[in-house]
Order: sequence, then structure tokens, then C-alpha cells
Amino acid sequence: MTFGLRRSVVVTAVVAVAIATVIAVFTWAGTPVTAKTFLNATYIGLTLGALWAMYATGLVVVYTTTGVFNFAQGAIGVFGAFFYWELQMNRGWHPILALFVVVFLFAPLLGICLDVLVMRRLRTAPLVVQLMVTVGMMVFLISLVGTIWNANTPRWVNAFFKDSGGIDLGPAQLTWHRFIVFVTAVVVAVILRFLLYKTRIGTAMRAVVDNRELAALNGARPNMVSSLAWAIGSMLGALGGILIASELEFNPSNLNDIVIIAFAAAAFGALRNLPLAVVGALLLGLLRQHTETWLNFGTNFSKAHLGIAPLLLFAVVVALPQARLEVGRVVSNLRRRERYTNWWEGLIGCGALMLCAVMFSGGWLNFGIWDPEAWGGPALNSANAAMALALIGLSLVPLIGWAGQVNFAPLAFAGFGAFVYLKLAGDTGNGYWIPLVGLICAPLGALVALPAARLRGLYLALMSMAFAQGMALIFFPHEWVIPRIGVGRQFSHIELFGITFDDRRGYFLLMMSVFVIGVYGLVLLRNSRYGRRWMAMHGSQAAAATVGIPVVQTKVVVYAVSASLAGMAGVFWATVAGNLSAGQDFDLLNGFQIVLLIAAAGVSIPMAGIFLVFTPLFTGLSHRLEDTGNVGFLVEILDQLVVLGPGLLAIGMVFNPRGAIFEMGRGFSPILPWRSDARAEIAAENAQKREPEIGELGLERPFTPEEVIAIDRRLGILDEVVPKEGYGAARS
Amino acid sequence: MALLEAEQVVMRFGGVVALDNASVDVDPGEVTGLIGPNGAGKTTLFNVVTGLLPPTSGTVKFDGVDITRAGVSRRSQMGIARTFQKLEAFNTLSAFDNVRVAVEKNHRAKWKHQRVNDVAHGMLGKVGLDDVADVTVGTLPTGSARLVELARALACRPRVLLLDEPSSGLNEEETTAIGQLLLGLVADKDNDLAVLLVEHDMSFVMGVCARIHVLDFGKIIAVGTPIEVQADTAVRAAYLGSDEFRGAYVGVDE
Amino acid sequence: MSDETATPLLELLGIRAGYGTIDVLHGVDLRVMPGQVYALLGPNGAGKTTTLGVASGQIQPHAGSVLLDGHEVNGVSPDRLARAGVCLIPEGRGIFPNLSVAENLRMSTYAGVSYKQVQERAFAQFPRLQERRNQMAGTLSGGEQQMLAMSRALSTDPAILMLDELSMGLAPIIVEELYEQVASLAEAGLSILIVEQFAQAVLGVANEAAIMLHGRIQRTGPPAEIAEELTAAYLGMS
Repeated sequence: MTFGLRRSVVVTAVVAVAIATVIAVFTWAGTPVTAKTFLNATYIGLTLGALWAMYATGLVVVYTTTGVFNFAQGAIGVFGAFFYWELQMNRGWHPILALFVVVFLFAPLLGICLDVLVMRRLRTAPLVVQLMVTVGMMVFLISLVGTIWNANTPRWVNAFFKDSGGIDLGPAQLTWHRFIVFVTAVVVAVILRFLLYKTRIGTAMRAVVDNRELAALNGARPNMVSSLAWAIGSMLGALGGILIASELEFNPSNLNDIVIIAFAAAAFGALRNLPLAVVGALLLGLLRQHTETWLNFGTNFSKAHLGIAPLLLFAVVVALPQARLEVGRVVSNLRRRERYTNWWEGLIGCGALMLCAVMFSGGWLNFGIWDPEAWGGPALNSANAAMALALIGLSLVPLIGWAGQVNFAPLAFAGFGAFVYLKLAGDTGNGYWIPLVGLICAPLGALVALPAARLRGLYLALMSMAFAQGMALIFFPHEWVIPRIGVGRQFSHIELFGITFDDRRGYFLLMMSVFVIGVYGLVLLRNSRYGRRWMAMHGSQAAAATVGIPVVQTKVVVYAVSASLAGMAGVFWATVAGNLSAGQDFDLLNGFQIVLLIAAAGVSIPMAGIFLVFTPLFTGLSHRLEDTGNVGFLVEILDQLVVLGPGLLAIGMVFNPRGAIFEMGRGFSPILPWRSDARAEIAAENAQKREPEIGELGLERPFTPEEVIAIDRRLGILDEVVPKEGYGAARS
Repeated sequence: MALLEAEQVVMRFGGVVALDNASVDVDPGEVTGLIGPNGAGKTTLFNVVTGLLPPTSGTVKFDGVDITRAGVSRRSQMGIARTFQKLEAFNTLSAFDNVRVAVEKNHRAKWKHQRVNDVAHGMLGKVGLDDVADVTVGTLPTGSARLVELARALACRPRVLLLDEPSSGLNEEETTAIGQLLLGLVADKDNDLAVLLVEHDMSFVMGVCARIHVLDFGKIIAVGTPIEVQADTAVRAAYLGSDEFRGAYVGVDE
Repeated sequence: MSDETATPLLELLGIRAGYGTIDVLHGVDLRVMPGQVYALLGPNGAGKTTTLGVASGQIQPHAGSVLLDGHEVNGVSPDRLARAGVCLIPEGRGIFPNLSVAENLRMSTYAGVSYKQVQERAFAQFPRLQERRNQMAGTLSGGEQQMLAMSRALSTDPAILMLDELSMGLAPIIVEELYEQVASLAEAGLSILIVEQFAQAVLGVANEAAIMLHGRIQRTGPPAEIAEELTAAYLGMS
């Protein structure tokens, strides 16, 4: 067992070093190697590593004590950094005072609020819900920062002692800021170590990880322990955010993106080992700085050194030993029955949707606001963009909704599909290539899933995130992948059945048809043996394996199917937009928004894809209102909703994990003439809810509060537990 | 040669030895019991046999083939099916679909839809769940959900069926019905089925088992017919605590 | 003080409880008087552990009351009850495997006894633990783990002690050693509620016993009598 683990680690390390050597030889920049340049790179690398170590330790502390992997760790850092900017740069507070207020007052408070209001309820939630809620929190915090402080305004934070030189260590110099950063990181690590190992509350924090119930039986307060963990995690995030702010371009998504480095460092310690996580962070810092110093990747790979973290994450995941199938984790008692749409119901629903779409685009269904001549153009444009997102969202239904595996990289797969299509179809826009695009994307999905499918679901989520960022940094910016064109379209209009879909209305009908076919195809897939098998695997992996379903293989297949669907959807995404920009369209946050929206909508039901029109619809509506003038506050509200909505909706999954469309379906189905079962269920529920009437209890009226107190006193019932004196003679 | 043999299985968790050279063999055509006090290692042995836990040492043989290193789904395809002590149903699927998943995976691929459905309905019927076939399993009472698990295991066309406390959550009549079902299944020569049963309801165990293995501290302390096992001093000691301390035996006076 | 003998230290009245919507206990009444050692016996699945779960605040009953020294404590959290002197040693090694022995003992200090005192008392009772004080508890042998779990009961002066299957999976000689400790606690006047499958183990210490079957207490009486009936219940003989 141990030998197997060591061997996989060694093999991975050797392969990684070999690849790194080859890359280094080919990209050597020719910077003269002197003690000074070398030490300089080392110092900066260590400083960066120390900063990432703060993020990573915050993650690990929260994950081990509460079981929630906090994707919002970076966002807390962003919030902290901006708040610090507000106090220090904008209001001119003394740096120390601002630092104190943000790190020791604001951050712990934020952490405790997060825990009490949201995260505490996630402890026993399914992984998908945990991930959606914390990622939702991340997106929400980032967009909140963007709305409070306009993200497009250039800002900077002064480094500490920025004008006073630095400290000479050997031939190279370390600026005071970096020196302080490094010292702070060391002090934080020492304090954390002391807290966790030398204090009772720290012991309790580690005890809660082992056995929460037993910790309570000992008398420790598990809720307080988790709040403390969140407070610490939040403080570390904020501190890291403030200290790193002067090193990077100061904008929310840039500051947030570094969180994946913290994930990689945490994964280096198998998400639970603090010292290893710190080592991982330092290693990453050194690697990053030395690559930047010595290697030159050319313009096409100008951001490649940023891709080191996703690559390390990939390597760690490959090296980890296979996880055992867990038994006894099945979520008990669902409150409500589920009934899946069958083939003819699906046909009716899809037909109705298509009919609406045709009428809408023709202007026959106008809701009183729709005027195809006056503003049909812009609205159809938004609708087309929305439908493209909805198509990408559909690809997540089998994966997240049925198999319970998470993919944060739908846009990376979609972009890859678009790229393949561009290479296959070229300028012709020939739509017959689309199925081939799907076939080519499938192995890519399998490749991403393969190393992580052996592990717990969280690693697959991290892996997909690393993949998304790796693609955005290394693959898509390459000139050859998606050539930059000055004017005009990179992607020609699709041509199918001899028709070139180059007007908005035609395109809208095409998109709707594809969407409807997609939804219907998924309905059929879910009712097939494969759909059942995937849902069975989601229900219990151990049981699925014992009926003969190979779990790892099945996960990889679902991932491949999802990647294939996303790739094909990507063709429509690219052709409707005409151009894709590596810098903007593949931003991690955009991908998150798609995942969050469809998850909050109810990802196990294909029709939930329609909810992805949320953002474009609200944007379109807000533009429309702006055109008419006079409703400034409404425009404002809509704009805020567009920005904050997806995150908020996902956070709402704490309370409604099944998604909005599930509840809507329950409301809607009793109306359908053939659904007598739904009507019966609602009736049975209402019968249960009815409270016993006063008469049935033999009373004429309810007790008044005074009477209740009097009865309690009579019965000797007090609400305080007071141990009598004399139990423990030795207790002084 | 027995159909399923676990030989000298050792399973250690940290400092705790859950199985200590435990050997169990199961023959077709009969129900074999595996009993023992709480924490004796019964479920651990099931997990080792089905591949959910790799044993520290020892071998598991099925039909003479060493399967100690085979994966869980591979063993299932060879004919080892099981139920779980703590419910492991496919919660979001209906009772019928729970069984259908197993039928689809374990019968011929070219089977028509109708035939799969017939077999699945037949399995549900055997455990008496016809009327809840379309109900989501997650909303069923625990007892019924356990029966769904049993039907699912039967649908795997097992040659060895491992049942972990099938009677828990069931009332007396249901338990009796399950006992009858098991006896019927193993008596049918066409099935050629072997059953290994972990159970705490002793009247159930004594009623259906031809042979019983008794596990205590991870060791097999007795093997024999129900009558032999009931009379065994070591077994009584295991269940009632040892006679090495604090007074004499209680209830060995027959 | 005169009516203290009349007030049961722990009283369960008409408890119905279980997991999710399914009841495991169907109306359990049980009272442990001050200084009494009460043995709750019965086969697997009878509801013994659930009963302790209710008494220690881990499981909220669907109906009925839990009274501690005459005060209703329904809905009070388990950690608060623990600090008030309710000490439950749960089934199957009540230890933190990834904490050292000393750190495990430190967790006991939440009950209000100083770290130093906890260590002194635990090591005095179980010298083997002192030798291994810096070892991870998960690497101890089964018996040592149970001693470590038991040391919380010995070092924190609880108001009431509840033991769940203390003997589970342990060699008889270790069970004997552990029950000697229980006996000395009982002699010192501590009230103890013991859940056991092994009737034999508790006969020497208990002065009241009950058989639990199918979520109900079937019979209470002197331990020796009760144990006699158990043989039949366990091995399925009538």
C-alpha cells in the first residue's frame, strides 16, 4: 500500500521534472545567471509563496474543522484588500490602523457571519450543494466588490515602506514590504501551530475533525469551534489579500484568480496537512518566480508561468492514491417523491416551447412589450446569446444533475469545441462538422476526468477548475488557436441544409430548435439505462459497484459525454458571438456563473437550461428600460441583479438544494390532466399539515403564556440545567 | 470445494484488529449464517469479500479463483451480490428503477425493454413490493427500502448472496417471509445459489441457516449447525461475557 | 436534602425517538436513582444506544421528556449537558484517533476539571496511558483505547455516567479491568447507566437491570434474574 503510494509519487515527480527540463531547455531566456539574479528570484519567490501559504492554511483549517472546502477564500481576500484600500488609500487612515480594522475586526466578523448564516448548514449537505454554495459565495463577494468599488477604475495599494530601500541579504536586496510579508507569514504559521497544538480550543478544533459528536460529549462547543475556524480562515484570507495587493494588478478577478494557487498548495497537503500545504505554497512561489526570470515563452505563451499552479494541481491529483468507496454516506429520507418526465410528456413540453419560440420570433406573441420592427434586433441578439449559454448549460445536466460530479470548466470545453470547429469547417461554416466536433471533445473530457475520477468528488471539481484556468492561460491565447482578426468575424455563420443562418431571427429559430432537441434528447437519455445507471451511481457509489457498475469508468464516460455536449454547444456559442476573446470570454467567473445558474435552477431537470437566459435577459431588459428613460432606479436594480444574482441564487441552494424548477414543477404538474398522482400527493400533504383543533385536545381555548408558566412551575419544569451541589466533591 | 472461501483474513485499522485470521466458507444450496456480538467484525468481513476493503492479509477465493485483488464491480459481475447494514439504496430512483439498474447490468445486453421490465417486476414481486414500484426509494420507510436492496441484489443473478442484517426494520411477518424466500431460493437447484447471512435476530438465523459461523474479536470461534452452535460454551461466553470473572454462568443449566 | 432520595437523577418518560421519521424507541420509561447502577440489556437493534442518545441530548425525542435531577432538559445541547456533568462514553472507542493520548485527556477538561488533575487521575488509574501519552490514540490497542475513553469518566467527577457497550470487541481480561474501575466508581456513590450486550459483565456492579426489546423496556428487576432471561432472547431459544 505505502509502496504503491510512493511509487506513484516518484513516477509523477520524475515525469514532471523531465517535462520541466525539456521546457526549460527550449525556452531558456538567456538571462545571465549570477548570485544576485538568482537570489533575487528566490527572495521574491519565497515572498509570493509565503503569501499563498496564508491563503492555503486558511483553506486547510476551515476544510479540516468544518468539512467545507471554501472556494470563497480568495474572494474574502479580495474583499479585505478593497476594504483596506478604502480605509488606507481613499480615506487616508494610518496603514497599521487600517490593517488592524480589516484583519482583526472586519475579517473575523465576516467569517463568523458566513458560518452562522450559511456554511453551518452545509456540513451534511451533498458535495454538489457545498460546492455550489461556496462558489456562489465567491462569485457574490467578487461582484459585490465590483459594485461597491467600480472595478474598472485603476487602483493601487502602496507597499509598506515603499520608499525606504530594503534589507541586504547577500548580493541581493529584499524590499521592506517583502521582508514584512515573509516575517508575517512565518509569525502567522507559528501562531497557528501554537493555537492548534498548544491550546485547548485548538485541540478541540482538531478533535471536531476526528469525531464531532464525541467532541460535544466532552463538552466542547462544536459550533463555536467551526465559527472560530471560519474567523481564522477569513483573517488569513484578508491578510493575504492585503499583502499581495501591491504585488499584483489591483482588480477583483485578478486578485481572485490567485486562489487556484492556494488550492494547488492545499492539494499538495492532500487538503488536510498544514505543513505540507505551506511547503507546496513555497514551492509554487519559487517555481513561478524562477520560471518568470529564466524562461521566455514567447508572446503566444506569455501567461504560461501563471499556469504552473494548475499544472501542479494536476500532478498532485495524478499522484494521489485511489480513494476507497465509502459506505454509509447515503443521504437519508427524501421528503418528496420524484417522477421523471416520460417520452411523450417531453414531446408535448418541447413542442409547446418550440411553438412559443416561433410565435415570439414572428411577433405574434408579444406580451405587449415586443415590437419586432422597433427593437427586435437587440432583443433577439440577447436571446441568441442566452440560448447559447443555455446549450452549454445543458451539457452539465447529465454530469452534475444525474451523476453528481462537478465540472467548473464548461466554457473551456465549449471553447475547445469552437476551436475544433474553426479548424474543421474553416470559413465555410459548414454545420455538418458539428457531430465530429462532439466526437473530438469527448476524449478531452475523459482525459480531464481520468486522474481525478479515482478520488473524492472534490478533486474532480478542483481539477476541472485547474483545467479551465490552464486552458484560459495557455491554450486559448495562442495565436494559432483562435486567430485574432482586426474586423469581421472569426467564426462564420453556420450553414445547414443549404441555409446560411446569418440573420438574427433565423439564428434564433435554429438555436431554439437545437435547444429543444437537446432537452428532448436528455429526457430520453435519462429514461434510458445509461441515465438510470448514472443516477444510481450518484445515489450510492458503493452499491453501484456491488451491482456491477464500474464507478471510475462510468464517471469518465459521463465526463466525456458532458464535454462532447459542451463542445457542440460551443460551436453555437462561438458562431452567435462571431468572435471569442481569450482574455474575456474564458474568464473563470463566466464559467462559474453558468454552473451556478443551472445548479440553482435545478440541474437534474434538462428544462432548467432555460434559466440561463437570466443574465442576458436582465441585461437586455435593463438596456431596454434605459432606452425608454425615466426608470433609473429600475435599471439600477436590474443591473445589480445581473451582477449579484447568480451568486445569490446559488447561496440560496442552502435552503432549496433541489433547485427552483423542481418546486415549480410540483406547482405545475397537478394542472396537467393526466397527473392524478400529483394531485393526490398534494392533497395528502395538506391533510398532514392540518393542526389539531382545540376541541380535539379537550380544551376550549389555547393556553395563555401566563398559564404555560404557571403549569411549568407546578410541574417543576425549569429551562436551566443546574447541577446540584455535592456531585463532584473534587470540583472546586 | 466451497463456492466462496475467505481464508485467514486479517484486517487491521490502526491499532485495532477487526479480523484476525478469520476463515469462512459458503456452499451453494444452503444458507450459511455469520453471527457474533456487536463489533465482532461481521460487516468488515463482508466488505473484504465484496472488495470494498483490501485485507491486510489473507485471500478470498470464488469458485476456486483468487479474487483478493479484484475490483468491486468485477466481483459483482462474477456473481457476488450483497445488501448493506446501513441503507445504500439509489435514493432518487424509484423502487422499480433500483432493480432495473441491476437487471440491465447483469443480464444479456440484447434483451428487449419488455423482458428487462418483466424480470425487474418479478424481483420486486418476490420481496412483496409490487405496489410501491413507482415510488422514489428515498421516500420509502426503511424496511421497504431494505427490501428494495434485497430485490436489487437478487436481480444481479448472484451465485453468492451476502445479506447484512436483512431483518432490521422489518416486522415479524416480513422477516418470516424473507426467511421463506431465502429457503425457497437456495432449495431451487437451478439457482445454484449460496447465501451468507449476518443477522442479529437469532430465531431467524436458527430457522434458516444450515450452518453457522460464529465470529468473536475477529476470530471464528465456532462453526456448526444451529443446535451445535447454541450449545457451544465458547459461543455462550462470547454473547454473555466470559466466565473468567464475576460469578458463574447464567443459563447453562440444560 | 430530604427529598433528594425521591428525585430520580435521570428519568425518561414516554420517550419516542429515532432517526428521520422512523421511531426506534416506542415509549421508553426509565429512572436511575442517585447512587444506583442501572444496567440496560438487550440484543442488537433493540434501541439501547438510541436511549443513551436521547439521555445525553444527542437525539431529540419525538415525544416524551428527559428529566435530569427533576429538571426537564429536552432540547438542551449535548455539549451543555456534558459540561453540566452528564458523561457518556459512546460505543466503539470514544476517543479521537488523530489526537495524542494527552490531547485526548485535554478534551476532558471541558467538564470543569483542570488539565493537570485529569492527567494525574487518568495516569494513576491506567499507568499504561502515561507511557504512551504522546502517541496518537488511533495507534493504541483496542483495550488501551477503551481505557483512554474510560479515563474521562474517572477524571471529571460526572453527575451521571453512561456507558455504551464498554466491552465491545475487547478481550475478557481487559473488560474485567474496566469493570473494576466502574465498580469503584459505583462504590463512591456515582450513578451509572450501563448499556451492555454482555449481561455477565455487568452483573457484579449493577443493582437494577432492564431488558430492552424492539424499542421498549420489557422487564426490570434484579440483575441476576434479568440476565437469566437474556440467554433465551439472545440465542433465539424459547
